[in-house]
Amino acid sequence: MGAILECKSLTKHYSALAALSNVNLTLERGRIIGLLGPNGSGKTTLIKLINGLLVPTAGTLLIGGKEPGPETKKIVSYLPEKTYLPDWMRVSDTINFFQDFYEDFDQKRAYEMLDRLHLDPSKRLKTLSKGTKEKVQLILVMSRNADLYCLDEPIGGVDPAARDYILNTIISNYNENATVIISTHLIADIERVLDEVVFIKDGIVTLHASVEDIRSREGKSIDTLFREVFRC
Amino acid sequence: MLSKLIKHEFKATARLLLPLYLLLAVMTIIDRIVLSLEFKGTLNVITGLVTLAYVLSVIAIVVVSSVFVITRFYKNLMSDEGYLMFTLPVKSHQLINSKLLVSTVWSLASMVGVMLSLLGVFATPERLKNFKDFIFIQMNDGRLIFGDMGFALFLIELCVLILFGFINNILMIYVSIAIGQLFRGHKVLGSFVAYIAINAVIQIFTSLLIVLAGLLFNKTFNEVSSLPHIIFPISILYTIISSVLFYFFTDLIFRKKLNLE
Repeated sequence: MGAILECKSLTKHYSALAALSNVNLTLERGRIIGLLGPNGSGKTTLIKLINGLLVPTAGTLLIGGKEPGPETKKIVSYLPEKTYLPDWMRVSDTINFFQDFYEDFDQKRAYEMLDRLHLDPSKRLKTLSKGTKEKVQLILVMSRNADLYCLDEPIGGVDPAARDYILNTIISNYNENATVIISTHLIADIERVLDEVVFIKDGIVTLHASVEDIRSREGKSIDTLFREVFRC
Repeated sequence: MLSKLIKHEFKATARLLLPLYLLLAVMTIIDRIVLSLEFKGTLNVITGLVTLAYVLSVIAIVVVSSVFVITRFYKNLMSDEGYLMFTLPVKSHQLINSKLLVSTVWSLASMVGVMLSLLGVFATPERLKNFKDFIFIQMNDGRLIFGDMGFALFLIELCVLILFGFINNILMIYVSIAIGQLFRGHKVLGSFVAYIAINAVIQIFTSLLIVLAGLLFNKTFNEVSSLPHIIFPISILYTIISSVLFYFFTDLIFRKKLNLE
């Protein structure tokens, strides 16, 4: 099996603004990868490109050898930074929705996770707090047996206790061939689960290395390195 | 996948429209009963109020089912919910198809529902007979003007035109919303401007077409009998062409220029 994600000279412009410039990036299967960079550095743009919500201005992007489309959406599980579930739905409706559209969705796993977090499936989403909605979304996304998970700021809105549970959920719920991309700037919290990091700044990938390499070569944590590299 | 999209689209829309249809049915029965009681004097106020409430529920059906076409498309595809819909393993034209089909069905259902309800309130054997006679006379007139075959053609074309007209209207709203979302930060305004602009272009184009048709079919053009042979076919063709263009551009924008915030 080849790489799960391959970007070659990937470029995305918004009219005059370059959101991503000439990104060359290959991500292997079975890795947890931190996509790290300050606000507006191009993290979300890259994730939207992977999910076919944007079309590259130039260059190519392949997921499991295919360009983004219905076939790749079957194997990519995406958590956007938005609350994207229709608020009139009950939690159980959203589970049925995912069950209908994603062949790899595991309904049983979703209900187990809801139970663990004491979330009532019969509640309507509009009655839930923002943090709780984010938990529901994460549960849906992690209940798929996808090849690639794209989590855009998955822990931003939830409390530290739920954060730990969510991170454990992420590491315990993906199979060994799956890759997880986590975009965040809360590095200290997720550092312990990462295998690799990608630093991105002003639309340019400045670093792609394994966490072990960085620790042994630089002798410092990812958090410290990030603060140095992106010093304002 | 299309059938699943349609299923969920019906679910999402029925929760609002079915209660309204139920309300209309209830109001129809109440108004019918109140009218049949034939209140006199001051009690007549009741008849007036109930009939007013009935008329309002009819208006609600018409307004809600047309506004819903717009808001449903915008909210489900262009707002944050778009992140969910556009990452489903479906093609963007399947999203359009499901919305278009369900909207068309609701539009037609509302039209039929209102007609049935009006019958329910106002139909009496005598009125029905008058109505039947009226239709009969019109049919005869129609046959005289168009000939038997021509009149059948006229009726079929009229139905086709109404149906395609519905679809054309919906697609014109869709393409306007799709164009509107290209304007970052001004999506709603952009949609309105796009709608007005498309309308203006169509007006100009139609005027030109009418002048052209007038010149081409000089003599026959002014006769009513030419309707099923010239004007209706042209209108149907025109509706189909513009619908296809609207559909194509909506899909093109979704595929190449999607710009969710």
